[in-house]
Amino acid sequence: MAAPTVAPAGQLPLATPPAGIPSRRRRAHPGETRAAWTLAIPFTLLFAAFTVWPVLQSLFMSFTDTKEKDLRTPFAVNFIGLGNYARALGDPTFVKAAANTAYFVVVGVPLTLAVALLAAVALDKGITRLRAVYRLGFYTPVITSIVAVAVVWRFILQPDSGLANTVLGWFGIQGPNWLGEVQWAMPSLILMATWRNFGTGMIIFLAGLQSVPPSLQEAAAIDGANAWQRFWNITFPLLRPTLLFVSVTTAIGYLQFFEEPFVMTSGGPLNSTISLSMYTYNQFGYGNYGLAAAMSYLIFVVIAVVTALQFRLLRENT
Amino acid sequence: MRTPAMRTSAIAVLSVAALTLAGCGRPTETQPAAPQASTSIGAGPATGDLTIWAMGAEGEKLPDLLKDFETANPDVKITVTAIPWSAAHDKFTTAITAQKTPDLAMIGTTWMGEFAGLGALDPTPSSIDKAAFFPGAWGTTEVNGTSYGIPWYVETRLVYYRTDLAKKAGITTLPNDWDGLKAMAKAMQEKAGAKWGINLQPGGTGSWQTVMPFAWSNGAQLNNGDQWTFDTPEMAEAVQYYQSYFTDGISNKSPAPNSTVEPPFVDGSQPMFISGPWEMSAVEKVGGKGFADKYSVMPMPTKKTSSSFVGGSNFAVFKDSKNTDAAWKLVQWLAKPEVQVKWYQLSTDLPSVQSAWQDPALASDTKLATFGKQLQTAVAPPSFPTWEQVAAKFDTELEKVAKTGEDVKTALATVESEAQSIGTGS
Repeated sequence: MAAPTVAPAGQLPLATPPAGIPSRRRRAHPGETRAAWTLAIPFTLLFAAFTVWPVLQSLFMSFTDTKEKDLRTPFAVNFIGLGNYARALGDPTFVKAAANTAYFVVVGVPLTLAVALLAAVALDKGITRLRAVYRLGFYTPVITSIVAVAVVWRFILQPDSGLANTVLGWFGIQGPNWLGEVQWAMPSLILMATWRNFGTGMIIFLAGLQSVPPSLQEAAAIDGANAWQRFWNITFPLLRPTLLFVSVTTAIGYLQFFEEPFVMTSGGPLNSTISLSMYTYNQFGYGNYGLAAAMSYLIFVVIAVVTALQFRLLRENT
Repeated sequence: MRTPAMRTSAIAVLSVAALTLAGCGRPTETQPAAPQASTSIGAGPATGDLTIWAMGAEGEKLPDLLKDFETANPDVKITVTAIPWSAAHDKFTTAITAQKTPDLAMIGTTWMGEFAGLGALDPTPSSIDKAAFFPGAWGTTEVNGTSYGIPWYVETRLVYYRTDLAKKAGITTLPNDWDGLKAMAKAMQEKAGAKWGINLQPGGTGSWQTVMPFAWSNGAQLNNGDQWTFDTPEMAEAVQYYQSYFTDGISNKSPAPNSTVEPPFVDGSQPMFISGPWEMSAVEKVGGKGFADKYSVMPMPTKKTSSSFVGGSNFAVFKDSKNTDAAWKLVQWLAKPEVQVKWYQLSTDLPSVQSAWQDPALASDTKLATFGKQLQTAVAPPSFPTWEQVAAKFDTELEKVAKTGEDVKTALATVESEAQSIGTGS
């Protein structure tokens, strides 16, 4: 799509206003300006006190050696430059948490997107009876409390008597100790996060699918395209903006994953499921506010970079 | 588009930032004089308003106990606020920062160093007799040699075992040393049909509470002054002993996370574990009627000594209180032996005052009496504000030791170097 910078030849330049109307905007009355500012003051004050100030304060904190005992005198602390950032990056547990988070995002986001898209296509085309029931069923995990979900999943993943290993046992497979073994704990959490989150993506994909014009599908069908070709060459490209949205929101959520390890494994076994957010949370708990603030900003930078990358990779082709 | 207003606000933001930066930097350290007890407790009844914060079940039951105090001191008006444990730490630190603390509060023993370090607590008046309490428990109130508050109730860790299965395993006399304990756990596994001899936590959060009793019994110390001392032969020997339960297959090194000790104890698959007094009611609840006769508790096995871990909660008065005199009167009242016994009956929390244990309510129960005996030698970790952070590092390394068979000396050297870099926070 070319940006309409130059008016095509032969067309009236509509941007020019008709003669007789002053081209300049009417100058605002001074009283109006004052009224506008007065009306904006409550919001501005709230925004400054509860949004701008905490952000500035935490940024400031990340460059200082603020500890819990400095709470009463938050500015009587030493400025240590990038010391906290260096300490965070040099902390083996932080690096481990970063690797765990990367694992969770790299496997979890595509899996969640794929399951969500599959469920949306099934609901759009395949399942015709009881569609509302299925839609509600798939969406229920999203709105269920993680605490309740965690209890149920812990039962399912019990090594001896859990549902997962019982079902595997019917096929003669000895299931692993899902949450207790280093190599299985993270996959278990990814599975649970996917189950818990795909409903949101599904609803949005469903809306995207239903906005694909049926006429295009029909035209392609007449031209002899099979179902797979129609999906891949027509539906999927038209879903790109939806895909971008779901992918960005899911990735932001997954980069900050916290609840799953917090309630299921406490980061174990052997720190194999500790996430960046959870490790940062622990540091706040120990009162290392400067270090924890620096970690938070590192997570923020990663989220910004990953989001920018997604926008680049999934943007509309021009 | 930049308007003048935007420019003004940008300047404002920058100047605020500049001001904050200019104003920062720590004041030059002056060595503060050791805090003095500012209050001596007056005679006569307590008067005025008192607000109290207390956590968990204690917070809910405390008003019942305080009715007697209010009867004896009719001019005092007490408000108890119950706080869930999970929210308590944040609520305290926020209150201390804002100088909006209650007059007095129940305080977890591991928070003492932190809150005292913030300058929030009032030193204990000398008229409160420290010899009345268990020495280990009194130690939890001391920060840099000054005591803040009193131990209110205590708990310690003992070895729980199934008496019926021990008989089946051919245990006629209870073991009182390390080898004996291990042999008993092994016999449970080999002769009494237990899947695992003893249920020990393979590292992870809080496992230091089970490991340290062995280390303390072997003469190890967590600190020497403000130096951490993890990397010592005494500590290594104790951790190696703990590790051997996992390498010898006596304890399960990969249990499901969040698994509880009670069901395997009751079904006999893990007929021993080490824990605190609350497990008595917990296992009896799972075991049902008559289960109380099927298990018992025994002291931690002796190496050089038999020194378990002492925990519990303290009661302290805040410096910002406007009514410290009445607050200390209440604290003094809470430490009376008969009030401690009454509190035990209300809450089943064990008395921190030694003479309260002579009351028939406690002395007649053999299991409880074992706890009382163990408390006399029980030890608490140092009251450094960084202890929980150091303990978390210790727990992580203990997990490696138990699960992957990591070399104990390497693990302890790692803990020590991490602990030194964290410091003692004082």
